[in-house]
Amino acid sequence: MNYKKTIGIEVHMELKTKEKLFSPTINNYGNLANSNANIIDLGYPGTLPTLNKEAVFLAVKAATVLNCKIRKIQHFDRKNYFYPDNPKNFQITEERKPIGYDGYVEIDDDGIKKRIEILEIHMEEDTSKSIHSKEKTLLDFNRAGVPLVEIVTKPCLHTAKEAILYLEKLRELLLYAGVSDCKIEEGSMRCDANISISKNEKLGTKIEVKNIGSITNVGLAIDYEAKRQEEILENNETLHEETRRYDAKLAKTILMRVKETGNDYRYFPEPDIPYLVLTEEIIKNIQDTIPTSADIRREKYLKAGISPINIEKIIANKNLSDYLEQFTNINLKTASNLLLGDVQAHLNKINKSIFETNFTKEKMITLVKYLDDGIISHKNFKDIVGDVIETDKEIDDILKENGIKNVVDNSLVFNIIQKVINENQKVVEDYKNGNERSLKFLMGQVMKESKGSVNPKVANDLLVEVLNK
Amino acid sequence: MSKYLDLDLKIIHDLLVKKEIKPIDLVNESFERINNNELNAFITIDYEGARKKALELEKIDVEEDNLLFGIPIAIKDNIMVKDLKCTCASHILENFISIYDASVIDLINEKKMIIIGKTNMDEFAMGSTSETSYFGCPVNPWNKKKVPGGSSGGSAVAVSSHITPLALGSDTGGSIRQPASFNGIVGMKPTYGRVSRFGLVAFASSLDQIGPMTRNVYENALLLNAISKKDDKDLTSVETSEDFTRLIGDDIKGMKIAIPNYFVSKIVSDEVLNKFKEIIELLKVSGCQVDYVDINHIDKAPILYQIIAMGEASSNLARFDGIRYGLKVEAKTLEDLYKKTRSLGFGVEVKRRIMVGSYILSGENAKIYYNKALQIRDDLKKSFDSIYKDYDLILGPASSRVAYDLNLNNDDPLKCFMDDILVMHANMGGFPSLALPMGLIDELPIGLQIMGKHFDEATIYKLASFIEKKLDLNLGGIKNEL
Repeated sequence: MNYKKTIGIEVHMELKTKEKLFSPTINNYGNLANSNANIIDLGYPGTLPTLNKEAVFLAVKAATVLNCKIRKIQHFDRKNYFYPDNPKNFQITEERKPIGYDGYVEIDDDGIKKRIEILEIHMEEDTSKSIHSKEKTLLDFNRAGVPLVEIVTKPCLHTAKEAILYLEKLRELLLYAGVSDCKIEEGSMRCDANISISKNEKLGTKIEVKNIGSITNVGLAIDYEAKRQEEILENNETLHEETRRYDAKLAKTILMRVKETGNDYRYFPEPDIPYLVLTEEIIKNIQDTIPTSADIRREKYLKAGISPINIEKIIANKNLSDYLEQFTNINLKTASNLLLGDVQAHLNKINKSIFETNFTKEKMITLVKYLDDGIISHKNFKDIVGDVIETDKEIDDILKENGIKNVVDNSLVFNIIQKVINENQKVVEDYKNGNERSLKFLMGQVMKESKGSVNPKVANDLLVEVLNK
Repeated sequence: MSKYLDLDLKIIHDLLVKKEIKPIDLVNESFERINNNELNAFITIDYEGARKKALELEKIDVEEDNLLFGIPIAIKDNIMVKDLKCTCASHILENFISIYDASVIDLINEKKMIIIGKTNMDEFAMGSTSETSYFGCPVNPWNKKKVPGGSSGGSAVAVSSHITPLALGSDTGGSIRQPASFNGIVGMKPTYGRVSRFGLVAFASSLDQIGPMTRNVYENALLLNAISKKDDKDLTSVETSEDFTRLIGDDIKGMKIAIPNYFVSKIVSDEVLNKFKEIIELLKVSGCQVDYVDINHIDKAPILYQIIAMGEASSNLARFDGIRYGLKVEAKTLEDLYKKTRSLGFGVEVKRRIMVGSYILSGENAKIYYNKALQIRDDLKKSFDSIYKDYDLILGPASSRVAYDLNLNNDDPLKCFMDDILVMHANMGGFPSLALPMGLIDELPIGLQIMGKHFDEATIYKLASFIEKKLDLNLGGIKNEL
């Protein structure tokens, strides 16, 4: 009989706030070590915590998109343990009263919808970052006090694939809710997996694998760990609760520490922070500001006729999706083709996000209109994409400068048409006598004369207009 | 040797306004007195800073409506004053120099008082004699063989010996009021939240409160005026803005006063009880309604204190680990560094309380002890609130006995809690409570405690001022004229 895996996942997600959770220090990744640390973050004697409301609001948003019930009366607790990265030697967290509980995340496992149950989501402060060098351990307190939410599932997952799908969905939900950057590589999303195996309904011995470096590795770690545990059990040996880490290079989990009986964190209610009451109204106001979810955007894109492949490409690049969110009345399909094609290629080249460029909302509206009306071609756009993105010039000016100006300047097209008519009087007569093929010939002459730069539709309309005068 | 510091603040202020004296004269007199009396009231004396500040104040006009202008003040050494050592009377912070001002210090500076130095105390405010200080115990100016009380012993001594007219103390379970009682001065523990705790080294966060220690009631109210302000850096601080002197001098006729039977039971010495009964008679004669009442859970305060204060202290003092500041004893392993630093850095009483506190919060104990204590604490507060529905104030002695011999309590760590058995209730319930002298027993002062409703310090001062005037003890020998 086979062993069944049971997996519970804990994710720490840093909240994207301006300031830290309990101090007014700036919350920003990547600054010079210890430049974002004040006396509160360093745990100086006499200092007291304040509470960053923005963090509470983001936590409410996170709880909402995870379909959690939201606790109206908030209170924090102290978790006491000694470690150098823990400046006060206690961490302020929500042990007894998590902000959200009893939620779920829905995943799509090859067409089968599954609900991953969320036990709770709670707020807490991050520790400082330990940097281990040969003989010393250095501490960077920039991270100390950064707001986190910890999201804990019930032990309800059974395959590595479910775990990967859950984490991808979780990441997408929180990223689109504007709660976190969800960057595993920068540590703003950190995953721990609790893995046990059993042949019956009784859960086996729980092994925790901490701080797994990517979502893919979570899957690898789960499968490796389940196999390792199975081998131990099959050898009639006993498993003990322990904490391990996943080494991606070795593709193995490695023992960090054996869990001692009953970790004693001496929790008690944080006396320095009074109760925080969230009314229905406050909660609703916060929820009203949650940006449109990825799934709702998917539906919208599908209705606009964007292909499923392109939809996922846009969703995977939240900046592009957010860019599209600015428009209420635009052909999303045309816009998405622009974005996923030449725009994204150029953005990659200059290594910028679309919001850091001069590609304004107005430019996009004009371009989509010109493309849809056939005023310019995709080939035209390819030629001007650099100017559109990098300069603050208007589209019409860019088109002119690039020799595509005649296509929009009717007087120039008119001149060409005049010239063609003057040089082909006989054909014009034929046309007027009802020879439809003459029009095609004249049109060919116009295109030839303009070296193909005029918009055929515009030129054709104008030509007919002139001929019929 | 000048004696300006023996004068009433109003007189000193007049002299400053008339330019007959300068702030530097007061500062120099403070220093002279510190050096002439071997009281060990101070851990740090800021000669340079205080003189510099005094000279700066000479350059500006004396603020005529600010009686505190240029007045020397002593600060308990668990309150942060920028650029001065803040030792908490502990070896672990012996060389710790504060890099910021506590919020109360901002207010002291705003009123242009002059900080003379940092006063001696029980280590981390844990004790009721000041004997747990790493820097040796201050002595009682009334009798140098006696303890000054604690934990704000140094601040009480500074005021009673007229080194400074004003001092700040902190009170977690009587640490302002018991030394005030032992030194014949006035000490107020304000309502919890009245004074910002930002910059006060935390002992028990839910009980700690900074308060004024002065020679008389009026000056006490004046100092409380200066230091009460809502502070955004302390989430437990509340919006308050009022003049605490405003009821001083009002008639007390018709005031309703409750005396808990517990406060006049066997726990109080006969001599103290007799003094207290004289006060009760005085109040009755003056037209107050005085009733004896029973209050639920009133006898449980010392137990609650030991559980709550020590539980919180074990967590608050965890930050002193040798990693970021303070004493550090190098060791091969991290665990050894913690052990050695904390073993050497903390004194016996502090270590005892950290251990008891850690035990109380450990595993299931948190439920058995700490959470249950919080429930009973809530009930205790409600019992007091129900008394306050019918009465304006609650009275009792401020301590069960007068100052006793140094080293008396050394054999029994529980004894020191018994000193505060009458005053801890105010901390448990967050109530304001004041100690003021009610007389002398064998040449040693003894204090009266007046406890009031939340945020009703003004009524406490009203009664206190009346009693002070009637008794006319003038223990501090403050002169009303030169």
